[in-house]
Amino acid sequence: MIIIGEKLNGSIPAVAQAIADKDAEFIKARAKAQADAGATFIDVCASVEENVEVETMKWMIDLVQEVCDTPICVDSPSARNCVAALPFCKKPGLLNSVSLEGDKIDVVFPVVANTDWQIVALLCDDKGIPKTVERRMEVFHGIMAKAKEFGIDPSRLHIDPLVETRSTEPEAFLTFAACARQIKAEYPAIHVTSGLSNISFSLPVRKLVNQSFMFLSILAGMDSAIVDPTNKGMTAVIKAAEELKAGYKDGDDQVALVAKGCEMAGISERDALGMKYAAEMLLDPEEDEFCLEYIGIYREGLIGPVKQ
Amino acid sequence: MTKIEEVAQAVQNGKAKIVGGIVQEALDAGCDATEILNDGMIAAMAVVGEKFKNGEIFVPEMLVAARAMKKGVEVLKPHLASGAAGANGKLILGTVAGDLHDIGKNLVGMMIESAGFEVIDLGVDVPIEKFIECYKENPDTKIVALSALLTTTMPSLRDTVKALNESDFRDKIKIMVGGAPITQEFADEIGADGYSPDAASAAELAKKLAGC
Repeated sequence: MIIIGEKLNGSIPAVAQAIADKDAEFIKARAKAQADAGATFIDVCASVEENVEVETMKWMIDLVQEVCDTPICVDSPSARNCVAALPFCKKPGLLNSVSLEGDKIDVVFPVVANTDWQIVALLCDDKGIPKTVERRMEVFHGIMAKAKEFGIDPSRLHIDPLVETRSTEPEAFLTFAACARQIKAEYPAIHVTSGLSNISFSLPVRKLVNQSFMFLSILAGMDSAIVDPTNKGMTAVIKAAEELKAGYKDGDDQVALVAKGCEMAGISERDALGMKYAAEMLLDPEEDEFCLEYIGIYREGLIGPVKQ
Repeated sequence: MTKIEEVAQAVQNGKAKIVGGIVQEALDAGCDATEILNDGMIAAMAVVGEKFKNGEIFVPEMLVAARAMKKGVEVLKPHLASGAAGANGKLILGTVAGDLHDIGKNLVGMMIESAGFEVIDLGVDVPIEKFIECYKENPDTKIVALSALLTTTMPSLRDTVKALNESDFRDKIKIMVGGAPITQEFADEIGADGYSPDAASAAELAKKLAGC
């Protein structure tokens, strides 16, 4: 599993504060903790106004490289700023991200074509996030045509099929998983990734939903994720899912596998119950469009922090 | 419990299947349709919004409450004076040019509609001209509400507010803004009339700006 450490992102209030205060020690400590925990890449996202973004990214990247050798994941919504930040990195890492939106791909692909840089590509275009699996796969094929044109090997691409919020998009997981399966079937060497925490937005005990999403997505072929490598529960779930994936075939009872995975990962009974409900919520939106069963067991006090 | 309180409770609890029946019972018992709307449903959604703001309930629970209200309004509509359901006035809503995010904007639209406004949702990636055109087609609009979710689209929000500020109908409308990277400070700087951090506060702000 490729772990892209997510903890140096300016959209996290503590990181935004550290950037504003020029708190170098804070940035370095977060970088080191993620490197020590086994991150494959360390994501660096400044999330500041565009005109000061490149200089902020340089400051952050320099600090990360002072304390570890882990490759950088250069992260900006501006493709031009991503490209501008590449020379700050001592070795090739990951560029996050392109999509079929605007001229992003034309800005990035020529620059990275003959390098070892890897690239995250999101399955969206100028019309936003496509609602159906078919439309997302059309975007995927558009990206692959461009990759071929520039001679970028599929193994250098991390495709993010995009994770919507379960509480407002009931089919969020199913759409993601269907894309992941098709992408992996077409290009076995390609990576499928996601910044998955969006799935649990505005649901109680988000970590349980995130962990179930991670587990089920690994079964669907995801092999890269933007996640907190220092989160022991999550990394244990990842390990269990990877082991169970080996014997998994389509049609197997995925909820039962989540339960088995929880046991292997040493997840508490209380959290395992929550992950089971979360898995059902992700896999069967028709049964519970508005997540009310999952919220219900939280309200009954069966999952989540134990109230004193 | 009065019939109107029963309507309020059904909306708050998101009971879409039974709310229509209770509204009918309230009408049969002689309750005034506007009162059922205002004191039953809109008041209930205000409570739901408050609970959401305080972190007591989650987005799906807000969604089921709004869905229940919609069901209730369907039954109520033939009994309401035309326009009563959007009696607080028209509001134009959209995510600014270059920004494709819609979840937050949709929640805002839903809560503002539930607060008694007629919401004209222009969608995402809305060019400045479209907001202006829409106002010209709906000159009784009271508020224009703009969303931006990325630091990279904050300049687009700034440009949109600037264009509205320079329009000849500026004194007829109020402008409210929101979205993850937006702050009160930024809203003041670009010349908006108001900022709200979440969907429930947006509904309250809209009422305040419209003088309701």
